[in-house]
Amino acid sequence: MFVIPSLILFSAFSFFPIMNAFYESFFNRNLLSLRPPRFVGWDNYTYLFRSKDFWLSVQNTLIFTLGTFLPLLVFSLILAVFIMSISRFRRFFQMAFYSPAVLSSVVAALIWLLIFDPRGLANQGMNALLGTAGINYNWLSTTGMLRLSTIIVYFWKYIGYFTVIFVSGIGSIPDTLGEAALIDGANRWTLFWHVTFPLLKPTTMLVSIMTMIQCLKTFSTQYMFTSAGAPTRPINVITLNIYNTAIKDYRIGRATAMSILLFVVMFVFTWLQLRVSRTEDVSYT
Amino acid sequence: MKRVSILLLLVLSLALATGVAGAQNIELTYWTHTDDNRTIIENRYIEEFQELYPNVTIKRVVNEAAKMGDLMLTAFSANNAPDLFNLPIEQEYGYMMHYRVAPVDYEAIGYKDAQEMIDQYLAGTFDPVTMDGQIYGLPLELTNWSIYINKNIFRDAGLDPEKDYPKTWEEMIEVADKLTLRDGEIITRRGFDFRYPYYLVAMLPMVEQLGGQLLSDDGKTAIVNDEAWLQVFEWFRTWGPHGRNLGSPTYTSARKIFNMNNNDIGMCLTGFYQQGRIRIDNPEFYDSGEWMVVPYPVFENAVNDVACSYYGHYMMVNAQTSPEKQEWAWRFIAYMLDHPWEYLETVNIIQPRGDLLADPRYMELPYMNVFMDDMERGHIVFLHENGFQFERFIKEAIESVMLSNMPSEEALDILRERIQEVLDDQY
Repeated sequence: MFVIPSLILFSAFSFFPIMNAFYESFFNRNLLSLRPPRFVGWDNYTYLFRSKDFWLSVQNTLIFTLGTFLPLLVFSLILAVFIMSISRFRRFFQMAFYSPAVLSSVVAALIWLLIFDPRGLANQGMNALLGTAGINYNWLSTTGMLRLSTIIVYFWKYIGYFTVIFVSGIGSIPDTLGEAALIDGANRWTLFWHVTFPLLKPTTMLVSIMTMIQCLKTFSTQYMFTSAGAPTRPINVITLNIYNTAIKDYRIGRATAMSILLFVVMFVFTWLQLRVSRTEDVSYT
Repeated sequence: MKRVSILLLLVLSLALATGVAGAQNIELTYWTHTDDNRTIIENRYIEEFQELYPNVTIKRVVNEAAKMGDLMLTAFSANNAPDLFNLPIEQEYGYMMHYRVAPVDYEAIGYKDAQEMIDQYLAGTFDPVTMDGQIYGLPLELTNWSIYINKNIFRDAGLDPEKDYPKTWEEMIEVADKLTLRDGEIITRRGFDFRYPYYLVAMLPMVEQLGGQLLSDDGKTAIVNDEAWLQVFEWFRTWGPHGRNLGSPTYTSARKIFNMNNNDIGMCLTGFYQQGRIRIDNPEFYDSGEWMVVPYPVFENAVNDVACSYYGHYMMVNAQTSPEKQEWAWRFIAYMLDHPWEYLETVNIIQPRGDLLADPRYMELPYMNVFMDDMERGHIVFLHENGFQFERFIKEAIESVMLSNMPSEEALDILRERIQEVLDDQY
């Protein structure tokens, strides 16, 4: 009874759009045209599997996801452990790390566009760090640096968000377990590896699922960077391709087919991670 | 009983009066792009129009020019578009092809028929917005771009702006190199830079100068004359960070910083309207006379003398809005556009109206002769149902060569394949 309102909301705002997108993906419809859409069966899907452009997007998305997912997971855990290990300024650090997450992605991208400008802080910082003078690291130009730039923006934006989740995960572990381990002779390192980390597995799983989904859905940074003059090909991730196919090319059927494929990939990854985590549920009772 | 009847009568009269008034009230939404000078005069036109016709309310919504195309498409695809709007013609063309905009209501704007309206304008003005004998837009402006020069920066580099300005694209590289200042590899002052998103307007003419075309004459084959395209691609490689390092799309837009006269850009490519913006942003620089305008260059081995393409912003009316609103929208458009001199003097945009162009004061405006000569050498921007899409493909090709150092042949093959695929698509 109590879940009915949320079921209605989910059906209206999530399930219906997904089903509608799936239905649309079997049609050829020009976004501008008032003509009725033409049924094309699986053509949009077979086109995508043959399209070099689509596979380049898949490759770009994978590079971005791998380049962002692992550092985000590892460093957010390290930062959470650091925050929980200090008693002073804990709240300050939590707020400081979390603050980029409240910024809109567009604003974040705009801030970083200024930093990555050839005359911006990124070049100045790298030149100061490496003791060089006047080297342009081409943050927004060359393939490798451009991909790294998008990863840095995402890492900066979400590291605090996932750190806070880990902090709450660590906070939910009863102190008695750590105290017992310390009495048994464990040091800080063994306490972390043999007590805290295993008990954090549900949180780690949650963070890894959320991180992966966030990475696969990345859009704003790539959109803003390409709008500001960065080349599209190295960072043409699937979501950007979906946007361009629908909004610039007017091919809404093909764009929805891409969306469905992305949805399937995200669904499979989530399901796999949940299956793996099911055997590792933690209970303190 | 009598009291009840009177009360009912009163309620009915009130409801009827409200209904009638409601039916007469027209609320129009007008989307346009940012331009501070134009905003001032158009807000005044709106006030005047609303005073003349108190039943009409006009809501003017301003969007950033670069975002207008996306916003408009999203609004139209959701069947929630504004009643009237303007966009560059290369973007508006698709809306006309798909009948999303309404034909001009000649009677509403005070003309007997189409011919009477056509006669008031420069020949060919309505060609880009004519389909199946119907005209779908009224020109807000017809614009072409030439090269603006900061004379101080030329002199600072030991050049005479009057004599040493670049006449060819090859000279452009040499002159820009002399004007450019760098801190190591980082450019602190550019000699010149392009307006990168607008490849159909500013870059396709470079290909055409060398005998190349985007599509064959029958419109069925992508990319004509590979050599012309490859030469232009290589020119851009030389221009970019993998060549002489003279500019790049990742630097701040040259046109935007030109007005500030901050010793960071020597030349930029823009239209007559830039003068109005310099006047607002930096009146001292505007009055100093330390800027000038010169023609769009050509390649040394050019086979065609083609200048930058001109484009139009046409006022259009949403075909899905009610006939009554369409009629009022056309009336309002006609009211606004009936101030061609004010648009020219205040906003520096040119309506291609015969009376305006024939006025002796017109050619006396600063550097108008340069713009008019370039317009004569140019042609209307490439128009195609998928033009917006082709421009994105060209952008990707050039930026892959310029910034990612992709071989020009590979970039051209990808460009050809992508455009051909669109042309071959039967949908």
